[in-house]
Amino acid sequence: MTAFSVLLLKEEKALFSSPIAYAVMTVFLLLMSYSFTLTLFLSHQPSLVHIFFQMFVLFMLTVPLITMRLLAEERKLRTIEVLLTSPVTELDIVLAKFVASMSLIVILLMLSGSYAVVLAIYGDPDWGPIYSGYLGLLLLGAALVGVGLLASALTANQMIAALVSLSLFLLLWIIDSFGYLLPSPFDALAVNLSLSVHFKPFAVGSVYLSDVGFFLSVTLLTLFLSVRALARR
Amino acid sequence: MSPVVLVRQLTKWYGPRRAVADVSFAVEPGEIIGLLGPNGSGKSTIFRILTGYLAPSSGTVEVAGFDVVRDAFAVRREVGYVPEDAPLYEHMRVVEFLRFMAQIKGLRGRAIGRAVDAAAARLDLDRVMNLTAGKLSRGFRQRVSIAQALLTEPKVLILDEPTSGLDPHQVIAVRDLIRSLAGHQSVLLASHVLSEIEKIASRVMILLDGMLLTADARATTSTDVRLRARISGSESDVRTSLAAIPGVREVSVEQVAAAERHYLIDAEPGDRVRGEITRTLVAKGLELTELVEVRADLEQRFLDLTRRRSGKAAA
Repeated sequence: MTAFSVLLLKEEKALFSSPIAYAVMTVFLLLMSYSFTLTLFLSHQPSLVHIFFQMFVLFMLTVPLITMRLLAEERKLRTIEVLLTSPVTELDIVLAKFVASMSLIVILLMLSGSYAVVLAIYGDPDWGPIYSGYLGLLLLGAALVGVGLLASALTANQMIAALVSLSLFLLLWIIDSFGYLLPSPFDALAVNLSLSVHFKPFAVGSVYLSDVGFFLSVTLLTLFLSVRALARR
Repeated sequence: MSPVVLVRQLTKWYGPRRAVADVSFAVEPGEIIGLLGPNGSGKSTIFRILTGYLAPSSGTVEVAGFDVVRDAFAVRREVGYVPEDAPLYEHMRVVEFLRFMAQIKGLRGRAIGRAVDAAAARLDLDRVMNLTAGKLSRGFRQRVSIAQALLTEPKVLILDEPTSGLDPHQVIAVRDLIRSLAGHQSVLLASHVLSEIEKIASRVMILLDGMLLTADARATTSTDVRLRARISGSESDVRTSLAAIPGVREVSVEQVAAAERHYLIDAEPGDRVRGEITRTLVAKGLELTELVEVRADLEQRFLDLTRRRSGKAAA
């Protein structure tokens, strides 16, 4: 077992022994199931496009709850001192926390896969937008977890970590609305920073390399900055 | 034999505040070093630098031949560290925590179980192995923290206030444990409790305001002797009389009783000054009921050094 796998196992245990993971799963499934049923009965369309947009919003609201404790709690309890004086690297620590959080995101996506199964049993859905929607949500989830992890690396206060990441998510959600008010080149910058602008094509069945690159860049940049934040002592 | 810890001109700044100032010392293999100093004197900062947790602002630090900045990872393999206040994962059971620590320290397979069992037996943790850390008393938390540091028998063991929160029996047990490591492992131990350091350490270093006042407090010899005198009469008369005696360097009041005061007199060694003190006080009509030499223990050395330092700062 490598140091990374030992740390990952510890993070998975911490995540799934806390009530937060189960609360997030419950709220997520209740809201999504209500929304899925209502949309299906009203539209009679075998599509998950509406569900993907709602999951996009729900991810922004729930990811801060998952990520807020990741490093802030280690700092507050000073267990980070125990970890960082042991033979493990900052990268191992950050990646273990990232992958553990992503496992919850993947579980949420897999649970929501039941809606696709229902559509497949009772209808004939177009699978292209469903695959691309799930790819988009996975990439969005990785970027959000990265930002949340970075916020958690910068403070010892979990509430501040959650508020900072939530504020950033909300800003990046609606930033394209302000883009049209800004002078060039800030208008293009604001639009290109928008999470919803980059997510929309996935939800409707289009996969652009630029959107994939955007989410991957945000994820890698925030992971890199989290490692730097941990190494800066 | 080359030193296992070598610190040269170490300085650490926290923003505008200097926490450690130009500290140099060496630790030989098998030594037990006590780092003594009041709270905020820089003990924990030095330990955090030795473990590679903090980077020095300037100076060099080598542990087991590895530089703590360039080879931080190698240093972490050679050091067992017990941080102050024993931070633990509250949700983990003690056995889980020790197994986790053994694994991240590089132990694999059956070696994990053997190391955990040995550390638990050494620290008498058998009763609490299945409790979560959040339910442990402060004493047990401290012992679990010491146990994790001993899992891999590191070359250097660094303990920051290891007996804080322990009851007297546990203090004795930890003290015996540390003593048993002498000769096998080098131990650095921080405390602000003089008596504890005095009983465990083979060498005592004293820190004040981030500065190392001495790298060996016991070897710091002063040519002066300290006398304790019980004298009745006005303090100003006593001070004036004593100050006039050649060879008397400093007079301070140690204790005030009903009719008399206990004075501490730093003076040149030898019977001449004592005789002169007795004669002068009697001639002035001051009643001297006791004049004895005070043993130069660690406490006195600590007070002397810190007072001298404060005096210099004030000047």
